[in-house]
Amino acid sequence: MNLTAEGATVRYPGAVADALADADLTLAAGELVAVVGPNGGGKTTLIRALLNLAPLARGSVALDGRPIQEWRRGELARIVALVPQREDTPFSWRVEEIVGFGRYARRGPLEAMGPDDTAAVERALTRCDVAEFRERRIETLSGGEWQRVRIARALAQEPRLLVLDEPTASLDLGHEMELFELVRRLVAEGLAALVVTHDLNLAARYADRMLLLDGGRIAASGSPETVLQAELLSRVFRWPVAVMPLVDGPPQVLALRPGQDHPRYS
Amino acid sequence: MKAILILALLAVLACLAGLALGAVPMSPRVIVAALLSPDAPGAAIVRDLRAPRVVLAFVVGGSLGVSGAALQALVRNPLADPYLLGISGGAGLAAVVAIALGFSGAWGVPAAAFLGGLGAIALVYRLSAVAGRRLDPHILVLAGVVVSAFTGALISAVLTLSPAEQLRNAFLWLLGGFTAASWSTVLVFAVYAVLPLLLLFGSARALDLLSLGEEPAQSLGLDAPRARRVVYLSTSLLTAASVAVCGVVGFVGLVAPHALRGLLGPLHRRLLPAVFLASGGFLVLADAAARTAARPIELPVGVVTALVGVPLFAVLLRRTLR
Amino acid sequence: MPGRRAALLILMLAGCRDAPPPPAPGLTDDAGVAVNLGEPIQRIVSLIPASTELVFALGAGDRLVGRTSWCDFPAEALAVPDLGNGIGPNIEAVVAARPDLVLLYKSASNRSAAEQLRSFGIPTLELATDRMEDFDRITRLLGAALGRREEAESLVVRTARDLDSATVLPSQPPTVFILAWDRPPMTLGRGSFLSEILERAGAKNLFDDLATSSAPISIEAVASRDPDFVLVTGSGEPAIAGRVEWQVVPAVRDRRFLRIDGSEFNRPSPRIADAVRRLAAELRGAMR
Repeated sequence: MNLTAEGATVRYPGAVADALADADLTLAAGELVAVVGPNGGGKTTLIRALLNLAPLARGSVALDGRPIQEWRRGELARIVALVPQREDTPFSWRVEEIVGFGRYARRGPLEAMGPDDTAAVERALTRCDVAEFRERRIETLSGGEWQRVRIARALAQEPRLLVLDEPTASLDLGHEMELFELVRRLVAEGLAALVVTHDLNLAARYADRMLLLDGGRIAASGSPETVLQAELLSRVFRWPVAVMPLVDGPPQVLALRPGQDHPRYS
Repeated sequence: MKAILILALLAVLACLAGLALGAVPMSPRVIVAALLSPDAPGAAIVRDLRAPRVVLAFVVGGSLGVSGAALQALVRNPLADPYLLGISGGAGLAAVVAIALGFSGAWGVPAAAFLGGLGAIALVYRLSAVAGRRLDPHILVLAGVVVSAFTGALISAVLTLSPAEQLRNAFLWLLGGFTAASWSTVLVFAVYAVLPLLLLFGSARALDLLSLGEEPAQSLGLDAPRARRVVYLSTSLLTAASVAVCGVVGFVGLVAPHALRGLLGPLHRRLLPAVFLASGGFLVLADAAARTAARPIELPVGVVTALVGVPLFAVLLRRTLR
Repeated sequence: MPGRRAALLILMLAGCRDAPPPPAPGLTDDAGVAVNLGEPIQRIVSLIPASTELVFALGAGDRLVGRTSWCDFPAEALAVPDLGNGIGPNIEAVVAARPDLVLLYKSASNRSAAEQLRSFGIPTLELATDRMEDFDRITRLLGAALGRREEAESLVVRTARDLDSATVLPSQPPTVFILAWDRPPMTLGRGSFLSEILERAGAKNLFDDLATSSAPISIEAVASRDPDFVLVTGSGEPAIAGRVEWQVVPAVRDRRFLRIDGSEFNRPSPRIADAVRRLAAELRGAMR
């Protein structure tokens, strides 16, 4: 699995500026890349560009050597699973049905689901800790539970690249950590993962590489240490921050209150 | 599986009721005799009037039900009905003009209505393309509202300029009825409806995914633009033909999908066949009631479906909201 | 097509009327309104084809200054200015004709027209010209209004005698289905003028159990009652003759049609007896 972008540029119709400009990126199996940046910086647009959900004005994106535009949706869904930021549906689906949708890409429209499909759904339900909800209707789920169900659906696709857009938005601390632990485990097993997140610190602790997007451009990319620079972050997020190195880990970011100086810690 | 069998049985019972009821009271024995032999008393009525009506009402009802269910997934709104996209407006306008111009052939008004429906389909498609988002659910609904309003205004204008009785007759036609049903109409409609119905049944998984939204559907492997085109064209063609054959019959595309979705769940593989059977049976019973309630006077079917459909729908809504 | 127009007209007249109250002493119209007519009436606007015919029959045709587009008899009527519809009339046009008297068709749709005309101070007589029984009353009322009482009385007597001589009363009248409209199928019940003409011409209305003037009916009902004839308006082959679903009715299958054409079948006018005679002749010809 190899996803590369070169100079990818997206401009939405009627917009005055590019939503994404000259983005270069490579993703390979076994790594977790976190995409961070301020709101409106182009993070979701990057995902759309990578998955052919938005047309490229300039540049190119290729998956396993083939231009992304040449991939049929079904083919693509067997390799890449996306969990979009927001999703709502008017119908009262059961959790099991939603996760089952992840298998549609592997079966023709009239082909029945087989035992390996059932097994994949089971695995996905268990890994995302939603197996006990399988009969529940989605409108009875909390925001976090709905999130986990959608991730289970993505896992049911048995993808080689997992793309998550703000997956921890509605999750509590415990579930947040569980989610990132899960993704880390999957990456260790050989999956590639691209995670858009607003949580700089979690990103730093779990990601192999980070990408900082600002105004549609990549402002920094590389290891967490490279990307998390106080001056750069303060400028990009328009708020003063301090970056504190952990003794046995990546740096952590602390936003400063007005008048506050670099914090002291024991 | 059990549910489908029960529905099939109910559908058969509805058809039998449709054969048994009508302007002329007939005992079950007379009806069975009439079905078996063309010379039995009352055979002409049962075989040449009621039987084609029952079959036509069933197929039209089933088509409208399946179209309604599919459209609800397409525009992601459980209150969508087949006439949402302006088809009834286009067909109605063409029919009213045809009546005003005195088209008298057996196929004059229906053919005009069908062409009018096609015109509305093309117009809505074009409007959605002009907005840059071909077949996007929100744009479709808006375009449908625009076309409905536009054709509605034109219908009012035509009726205002018509003599008083043409006005009443145009209304009666618009309110729907199966009075002109014959075996040839049944054949034409059935042959025509096979392909769109098969396409819709085959789109069951696509409909599941479309109801989630464009991005989730595509990321799960659906070629969303193509699926939307297939669903849009199939539902539109079925609806246009229905209006051509029997006028505008409301609630058929709304009640069964809603009720069955609550009972059987929204999975379209299970839902669509069930909706076909239930809507078909519903329209057969409505037609039977139209022929019997005020005999020998025949009520327009659209009035019966509305009178029954509205309270039914209110009950369904209450149950969903509880 | 003229036949269709006649059919529409029949339905129109059959479709909108209420029962008139019993006549009161003095000049009271069919809506029960007492109308004061001062000076001799010189300018009449007749918004009903039947009253237009009557005004001419009473010898006062030269006083007409307005008629409806449907007033086509007698030929002299065509010279009178056409003011448009009789139901929902053009008030402006009527007022512009400066009438001393307006004859208005009594129906719910004309209620506001009556009020508007009266508010302009124009004497208006609302007349329910729906059925045969209305003829005598309306003729006498118009005679009183126009100062032609004797002419009115003799017209009533003449018409009654004419009608009696034209009436046919066979021992076994054939049954006739009146096809008023085909999509959806509609018929006229016993509460309609044409049904009365039919009965006098020696036939039985298939749907004389329907008290209403017009109603949509099932083809089934027609087929099971199996009429001897089907009455259609206009000439030539009726549209239903070729329709598959109608072949269930033996009279349609065997093309047993009675055709009538002419405005005397639409309205209770001095030509009532003519209408009966013509229909009776058509019936006789068909039964041979």
